[in-house]
Amino acid sequence: MTISRPARAAGHMAGRQIKRTIWSGVLAGVGLAAFIDETVFHQLLHWHHFYDKSTLAVGLVSDGLFHAGGFVAMVAGLFLLADTLRRDGFVPKRWWAALLAGAGGFQLYDGLVQHKLLGLHQIRYHVAVWPYDLTWNLTAFVMIVAGAVLMTGRAGVARSAMFRSDADTAA
Amino acid sequence: MLELIPLALTLLAGVGYSLAWYRLDRRGHRWPTRRAACMLAGSLCVGVALLPPVASHDDRFEVHVVQHLLLAMAAPVFLALSAPVTLALRTVPLGVRRVLLRALHSSAVGVLTAPATAVTLDLGGLYGLYLTGLYRAAERDSLIHAAVHLHMFLAGCLLSWAVIGIDPIRRRPGTGARLAALVIAAAGHDILAKLMYAWILPAGGGPAAERQAGAELMYYGGTAIEVALAVIVMTQWYLATGRALARARRRVAAPAETFAATDREHSGRT
Repeated sequence: MTISRPARAAGHMAGRQIKRTIWSGVLAGVGLAAFIDETVFHQLLHWHHFYDKSTLAVGLVSDGLFHAGGFVAMVAGLFLLADTLRRDGFVPKRWWAALLAGAGGFQLYDGLVQHKLLGLHQIRYHVAVWPYDLTWNLTAFVMIVAGAVLMTGRAGVARSAMFRSDADTAA
Repeated sequence: MLELIPLALTLLAGVGYSLAWYRLDRRGHRWPTRRAACMLAGSLCVGVALLPPVASHDDRFEVHVVQHLLLAMAAPVFLALSAPVTLALRTVPLGVRRVLLRALHSSAVGVLTAPATAVTLDLGGLYGLYLTGLYRAAERDSLIHAAVHLHMFLAGCLLSWAVIGIDPIRRRPGTGARLAALVIAAAGHDILAKLMYAWILPAGGGPAAERQAGAELMYYGGTAIEVALAVIVMTQWYLATGRALARARRRVAAPAETFAATDREHSGRT
């Protein structure tokens, strides 16, 4: 069966969208975690401090990179989402899976490496911090697992208007 | 008076820009109003940064940081979006245009407008200014002060042109490269701000509380502009891919003739 060039092109375009959906989700997830970290914990609750004197110099580098990268990731992820939507290639389950995995991954890195290993800042000061650490990292772990479950579960095929209309007219 | 050189440059560019816009308009060609608005906004940022009341209080470190944010970050973003070189190319006489094009396509300009160059000049200047005795020297010597202002302005412009510039150069970097340059520049800026907070720098920046307040302002102001730049880069990407998508959809809708046309179009293109 010969596949016409337009149909092949359309199919190629449709197949690519799952990758783009996942990229969008991961980036948006990382960005979301960074954004919540910044606004909720730094600004609103003032739990995190701007700078903790126990920070190692290398911790500042990690903080700067993840701060800058996090916001760019959020912007990129949201624009990728818009692009996936206009191509009718959006797969909701995979996007949410990627979002959870991305956000959980960032939170785990923040909780283990940035808070503990590099001593960048603690979750909260002047309290016993271990319940906060436990909740933080456990939540992150649960998010990653949830993301993995949703990623491997069954999802609807990516709907592509082009693909469908071509199949309709071909039949 | 030397500190006003960036302002003089911007005003000259603004006057030239207005004349060129008027000339283009008289010929009946369209030039987007938002670009002219960006030129105006950029000029205003430079003006606010270098004139009283901001300039007269810049011995206070927080005011200096506001000056830096306006002059080296906000103004260049607007100026890059105003596409002055594109406007010049459309309105100057043929001989001047040839010279300008040859310059734009030269390898020297290629190196200068590469993201790596811009990031290095920008971050190098910042780290040099705040981590060495240069800040104190600039406070004392008006010539050094003026040179610092000029460097910050030009380096900021280079970075903006590299990341979001519309003007034509030989090989414009892809979206990934531009985002990477943005992340590196922003991270370098944020790391420096926290370093300054931690080590209470720069030397000669006044009371410790003032220096730390300035460092925090630098961090958050820088983040705001970085997010704006990311949005601009992704908007440019979104619009460009949208145009490509529309073209592809038109091709799918009318395959036979359009494929022949695009085959011709592809073989003809170098």
